[in-house]
Amino acid sequence: MIASALPTLLVIPTGIGCELGGYAGDALPAARLLAAASGCLITHPNVMNGAALYWSDPRLHYVEGSAMDRFAAGLIALKPVRQQRLGLLLDAGIEEELRWRHLQVAEGCRASLGLDIGPVAVSDEPLQVTLSKGASGASWGQLGRPEALLRAGKRLKEAGATAIAVVARFPDDLGSEALSAYRQGSGVDALAGAEAVISHLLSRELGLPCAHAPALSPLPLDRGLDPRAAGEELGYTFLACVLVGLSRAPDLVLLPAAAADLLRIEQVGALVAPAGALGGAAVLACAERGVPVIAVQNPCVLQVNAADLGLEVWAAASYAEAAGLLLALREGISPAALRRPLPRLVV
Amino acid sequence: MRPAALALQQFTLQPLTLQLRRQPGPLLAQIEAALRIHGEPLRWAITAVEASDFDSAGVLDSLLTLEAVLLV
Repeated sequence: MIASALPTLLVIPTGIGCELGGYAGDALPAARLLAAASGCLITHPNVMNGAALYWSDPRLHYVEGSAMDRFAAGLIALKPVRQQRLGLLLDAGIEEELRWRHLQVAEGCRASLGLDIGPVAVSDEPLQVTLSKGASGASWGQLGRPEALLRAGKRLKEAGATAIAVVARFPDDLGSEALSAYRQGSGVDALAGAEAVISHLLSRELGLPCAHAPALSPLPLDRGLDPRAAGEELGYTFLACVLVGLSRAPDLVLLPAAAADLLRIEQVGALVAPAGALGGAAVLACAERGVPVIAVQNPCVLQVNAADLGLEVWAAASYAEAAGLLLALREGISPAALRRPLPRLVV
Repeated sequence: MRPAALALQQFTLQPLTLQLRRQPGPLLAQIEAALRIHGEPLRWAITAVEASDFDSAGVLDSLLTLEAVLLV
């Protein structure tokens, strides 16, 4: 008989070029494995979104990155739901044909997957997304009209949406070196930072599950395409995975709250994050609470490791090893007992 | 979370790169306080750590680089 679930957070920050998880939903196999090992995995859209590809598993909880930070800080709890009513927010900057493509993805998800989608709103002015890169090499981005995003989101919430999928027009950078490197598996996802800014802003202001898909012109065929980027080349939009992920995303419940069926940070038994990207809010909040942190070897553009931050972590050479550590924690086996040498107790 | 009424006021998103000398005590609160001097943190990460060492009191002495986007 297997022990009861060990709720676990999986963080693979977006836009830092993680070897695993820095592309089009290419951390999904790892997330599925960790969900099986823990019985309950809370993770964010960057891990789960593979554009036209996705995976639905009741053990996987899809929580936007800033909501994960607030959950880790004990500010909100998560309430599992059967289904969300998805509002679809479209940037007024999207051309008509591209807008139709996205509406038809939503129609397909209603007809073929049974998702509850609508209301739909178009922002009252173009959102004006721009992309940038930090000194570290991490991708960042901006919105020229953030208040237009919030106005449209508020309209959707008032019309009954319980979760919001956003599609913003992103600048096409056809022929750029960054895009070429990304498609060939050696670069940072240049869109990811701006995507995170959009979903963070909407989620924190409206208190609803939110996620983002970029609207872009289709790319020409690249025969050297890296398999990790292939999920984004299957269709006209990246929206399908967002709609599926949000359809069962847990409600975000502001604490303190009395409800009994909430998932709270106090129940979390572990956090898994890349060994070189431990300097985020969720990781620090969990570490400061004494939640065991499993630091996985997963190279990226950052080198912010446990020793630099004075954190005690369990090191794992791969997500497969991290799954073993989670299973040990779930079964009440000290991970130290699985390693050699085993130091003597100090009196 | 900010009240909805505030959400519709004019504001901008501003990028910020900041260096922070770590002090004794929990790190998260130090970071959030340093960022709030400049605006409301929307997204941030420690992107580099320089020359860490333990001081005479056993506290890790390090200079952190933060990259952030703030609501201003």
